[in-house]
Amino acid sequence: MYGWIWRHLPGNAWVRSVISLVLVLTVVYALFQYVFPWAEPLLPFGDVTVDGASAGGAGADR
Amino acid sequence: MAARTEHDERTHTSPPPARRRGRHPVATAVSVFGELLITAGLVLALFVAYSLWWTNVLADREADKQGDTVRSRWADGPGALDTKDGIGFLHVPAMKNGEVLVKKGTDPKTLNNGIAGYYTDPVESALPWDDEGNFTLAAHRDGRGAKFHNIHKLKNGDPVVFETKDTWYVYKVYKTLPETSKFNVDVIRPVPEESGVEEPGRYITLTTCTPVYTSKYRYIVWGELERTEKVDQDRTVPAELR
Repeated sequence: MYGWIWRHLPGNAWVRSVISLVLVLTVVYALFQYVFPWAEPLLPFGDVTVDGASAGGAGADR
Repeated sequence: MAARTEHDERTHTSPPPARRRGRHPVATAVSVFGELLITAGLVLALFVAYSLWWTNVLADREADKQGDTVRSRWADGPGALDTKDGIGFLHVPAMKNGEVLVKKGTDPKTLNNGIAGYYTDPVESALPWDDEGNFTLAAHRDGRGAKFHNIHKLKNGDPVVFETKDTWYVYKVYKTLPETSKFNVDVIRPVPEESGVEEPGRYITLTTCTPVYTSKYRYIVWGELERTEKVDQDRTVPAELR
């Protein structure tokens, strides 16, 4: 998979390294900015309140 | 130059595709699957970094901003109670976390800003200036500012100080409960009998999750009001915070 991407990037090894780095950083940015904030409330790690029913968010149901 | 030409030839001409064509499809599938697993591992590692570090960065920044807002509202010196933008600041020397802004509500939107919230539900919190009742607070143990991370450092007798615009409320911890169910609403009752008290009084209750890095149980610390001090013009801190 990664080999396939590497082979399809243009330029020599240096150019490909730079493009790869930019791609990796883009993915990390997307994860931190969009994916993780979306996933966090779905996971039961952030509930701090005592609550008979639900502390809000799906996490409390687990 | 010669080397680069050779390299270019190697990457642009036949050998690699030839090698791939020669590969068994199962080998290719296994290789892709393995790379996906490695990717999943890296994403999970990044999620840990996000939860335990990055959310703290964001929340601390937001908490500082909101704290500054309240501080600037109070800048004209002590005066009538002012609870807009936050009712005051919690100082717990044993937790070594500076001052924690306290606002109304314990919903994730509030707490995720790196502040503490007082309960409105399922049992409504009393406020420090009420004649009697239980001032019940929640904040994050890890991530999102992690304001109650060091709650386990609190021992009986440790001071918990709450600062409003015009008064310092000095509480003393008298009981800790290292683990209880998240459904145990009794711990935040106006008279928290689980802590061993039976008379109405002026209590404070800190709640957060435990063990660290999980939300399986809740950690509870109870304190009782010892005295209050009027805030003076210089906002001189009470002896407990010096």
